[in-house]
Amino acid sequence: MAQRTGNEQVLQGTLDLLILKTLSIAPMHGWGLTRRIEQLSQDVLRVGQGSIYPALVRIEQRGWIDTEWRTTENGRRAKYYRLTAAGRRALGNEVASWQRFVDAVGLVLAAES
Amino acid sequence: MLHHGRAALARLFELFRNRSRVDAEQAEEFRFHIEMETAENMRRGMTEAEARRAAILRFGGQQRFEEETRDARGLVVVDNLARDARFALRRIVRAPAFAIGVIATLGIGLGTAVGIGAIVYGVLLRDLPFASPDRLVQVSFHTDGLAESGTLHSAPTFIHFAESARSFTDLGAYSTNDAFALTDGAVAERVTVAMMAPSTFDLLGVRPLLGALFERKDTSWVGEELLPVLISQEIWERRYGADPAIIGRRIEIDHGARVVIGVLPRTFQFPAPSVSIWYPAALNVRRPQIASRHLTVIGRLRDGATIAQAQAELNTLVPSLSTRFPQITSELLQQSRARVSVESLKSATAAPVRTQLIILGVLVAVILVIATTNVVNLFLLRTERTGHEIAIALSLGASRLALAQRFVVEGVVLGLASGFVAIPAAALALSTKFGFTEREIPRLHEVSFTTGSIALIVVCAALIGGMVGCIGLMRAGRAGLSDRLRASRAGSSQGWRRARNGLVAVQVAIALTLLVAAALLGRSFWNLQSAHIGFEPANAMTFQAPLPWGVYRSYADQAVFHARLTDRLAALPGVTSVGGALHLPLRGRGALGYDLQLRAGDDESRSTIRGTGNLANDNYFHTMGIPLRAGRSFQPGDLRGTPAVILSERLAIGIFGTADVVGRSITRFPPRPDMPPTTFRVVGVVGDVQRGRIEDGYSPMAYFPLLRDGDGLPADSNAAPYRPEELQYVIRGTQLSAAEIQQIVRELDPRVPAANIRSLGSIVDDATAHVHLTMLLIAVAGAAALLLGIIGVYSVVSYTAGERVREFGIRLAVGAAPKGIGLMVLGDGLRLVTIGTIAGLAAAFSLTRFLRSLLYEVAPTSVAEFAGATVLLVAVTLIAILLPARRAAGTQPAIVLRGE
Repeated sequence: MAQRTGNEQVLQGTLDLLILKTLSIAPMHGWGLTRRIEQLSQDVLRVGQGSIYPALVRIEQRGWIDTEWRTTENGRRAKYYRLTAAGRRALGNEVASWQRFVDAVGLVLAAES
Repeated sequence: MLHHGRAALARLFELFRNRSRVDAEQAEEFRFHIEMETAENMRRGMTEAEARRAAILRFGGQQRFEEETRDARGLVVVDNLARDARFALRRIVRAPAFAIGVIATLGIGLGTAVGIGAIVYGVLLRDLPFASPDRLVQVSFHTDGLAESGTLHSAPTFIHFAESARSFTDLGAYSTNDAFALTDGAVAERVTVAMMAPSTFDLLGVRPLLGALFERKDTSWVGEELLPVLISQEIWERRYGADPAIIGRRIEIDHGARVVIGVLPRTFQFPAPSVSIWYPAALNVRRPQIASRHLTVIGRLRDGATIAQAQAELNTLVPSLSTRFPQITSELLQQSRARVSVESLKSATAAPVRTQLIILGVLVAVILVIATTNVVNLFLLRTERTGHEIAIALSLGASRLALAQRFVVEGVVLGLASGFVAIPAAALALSTKFGFTEREIPRLHEVSFTTGSIALIVVCAALIGGMVGCIGLMRAGRAGLSDRLRASRAGSSQGWRRARNGLVAVQVAIALTLLVAAALLGRSFWNLQSAHIGFEPANAMTFQAPLPWGVYRSYADQAVFHARLTDRLAALPGVTSVGGALHLPLRGRGALGYDLQLRAGDDESRSTIRGTGNLANDNYFHTMGIPLRAGRSFQPGDLRGTPAVILSERLAIGIFGTADVVGRSITRFPPRPDMPPTTFRVVGVVGDVQRGRIEDGYSPMAYFPLLRDGDGLPADSNAAPYRPEELQYVIRGTQLSAAEIQQIVRELDPRVPAANIRSLGSIVDDATAHVHLTMLLIAVAGAAALLLGIIGVYSVVSYTAGERVREFGIRLAVGAAPKGIGLMVLGDGLRLVTIGTIAGLAAAFSLTRFLRSLLYEVAPTSVAEFAGATVLLVAVTLIAILLPARRAAGTQPAIVLRGE
């Protein structure tokens, strides 16, 4: 198994944001989603692969994504997740609130000691 | 390992496939995920095995996320239970033999146990259906110094204690008599009457349904005035159309008319459910005595008084009996060692059957233990087989709690399924009451199949199932994860193996004990069946016609009625012969009879011989099929001069030393010394019959003539020693219906009830019923135990062989003969069976003597029965061992070794 140090566990509560953002790029299946998050974070963020599924169900229940079964490029059936309009709005809110959070943390850290 | 792992994984997925659509999709999604990740890993240069392992690890516990995902859907607990139940059902359906074994075993075991248990509980333990039942006691009066003992009271002892004792709020007394007949209305009816001291009703706390109870003064029968009775709700509704005007109405009873003052509710069934009329007890103290006693005395303890105190108080009152009743002298009291004992009414009521019920209770426990043991064994065997699956499920992150739940739910589902067998089994047991009646078991009428029984079965079934599941879980949970995966099927721990083997050996022992008992009882039953009963029971029927008291007074009057009835019956189409006698043979344990003291009339040097007296008409012997050995049957004129007598062979030999006695005379010494002896001439000798039970052997019997019209003698003649007040009729040739017989009797005299209408064969059946019933019960238990024992032996031997299959493979690979492998397994099994057999023989040897009272002409340690049962057991268990032994001998080393 590939040894990595310094990769970060996804912060509690941020997984939903990452999923929404990644799905806003394109509909994809669960495994694709995990791979994509890792790629986009340049393998810094390690998603516990199994843990995205409970998150996906939660998000789906809020009506932010919907699902459909499609055939992949190599002919397998897979469940694809797609952002809904509500999801897109939610993404905007989530991003804004994340930005506020990061800014706030930044202010704290930038304080003169 | 690789191959194995993937197969197991596939199987794991398989387990979940048929769930709801959502679950199936989820499983597919996960599988897709892992495959994608595996492919990705392989692109990175891993081998397929590494890639898959890494993928699974990376996924982070498949089952955990399945469950979390489902939890996220908010279905949690109920869904889990439903899922586990569905899962359990699927497992059950996948292994029907296992399921049927478990369900049948547990169902029959539990059903029988609850059925018998309800009887044991209802009779031994449940409170009597009266107010404050724990204060009710039975007071017994003992006179160990007198020949005719017993524990009943006479009127003086009851009155003395009732008036003097301070430990009781009340003492009551009663006796019953079933020789009364209701003679009003269209059909005369035989009824059982209880003569009860009025205080008895108060102390039992009964309230009448209608009318009033007796007053305290209603304690004796006086003159001609109309005396009060109470009647049962049952007879009030059935015979008097539930007419409220019954109160104050006169009813005709053969012993004299009475007036109804009250109706007692159906719930009041004291002293027995058969009682339909209550008289105030006649407490006669005109001739006080203690030699003849007929009253059962019960009492209610005063608050604060204990049984021991009450007993001590009553015993201090015994000597003062002679103060109150000078006829009961203090010498007599001392001589007779008069004393009183007090025990709770509940335990006194159950006393006659306590031992049998306790044995029955133990039998129940044994059946239940065997059944449970076997279910545990089957479950364990199955758990071991599926242990691999479980280990993988655990390694893939299934939570232990979920797994535990699954085991317990599977056990409970199996348990509940067995309830479907147990409920009808218990209902059948309780509706037939195993053929027992109120006569054999007191309070049996209080026992019935209730919703409580159903609830008990369901709860027990679920508990036993859950327990079995827990044991399976403990076993599965013990083995560590990694070593289960690695070592897979190698070896269970020594302790478990020993416990399992021990259980099976115990089962074999129990099965053998029961088989021996069943064999002994079977032999006994056979002996009883083939015993020579001295008459021909087939194609004949019997009934009794008790003549109303006081209407037919003399021998002649009674004989006239019987002659007319006999003629009417004999004229019916199909009837070939009609006979009558006072007593038929085989009247059961302790049957009373007229005791005779006889001596050869022409030889005063001989001692007197005891015999039983009977009265028979001319056709009785022919109709019964009792063979005439010498001489003739009765004929007109036999009561004139020296009256005739017919002796049974045994009595003739007893008196004269030979059966060739026709024409000789005998002297009868009457029971009271103030009456003169009488002489009879022997006109015939007939074959022997048993008066009471077959086991008690032939009874020496003397038959006196019942001649039509009293042989023309005056009404006050007492040439025949008995009167035919109640005659037993025997009809040969055709089976008449009860209605036909009642019709004929009614036409002759509507006051005469025709009672006990039944086939003659049923008398013989009754005489063998006690052995038959016990034999059947034990045979069923034995068969069940044998079946369970076989399952036990089979499962353990095949499991043990399965554990050693790799060892066998290696042995075979290095040149061992397949036969030798088979013999090894055979030896293992035989060791188990041998230990069980020895233990079983020892148990049977020490226990069968408790059956002695049921055994007829077979010893409790009869070698043939012991050997037969042992041979059967060994032969059958041998089959259970041979199957796995053959399978072991057929082990293919290549497959076994490669497979592991």
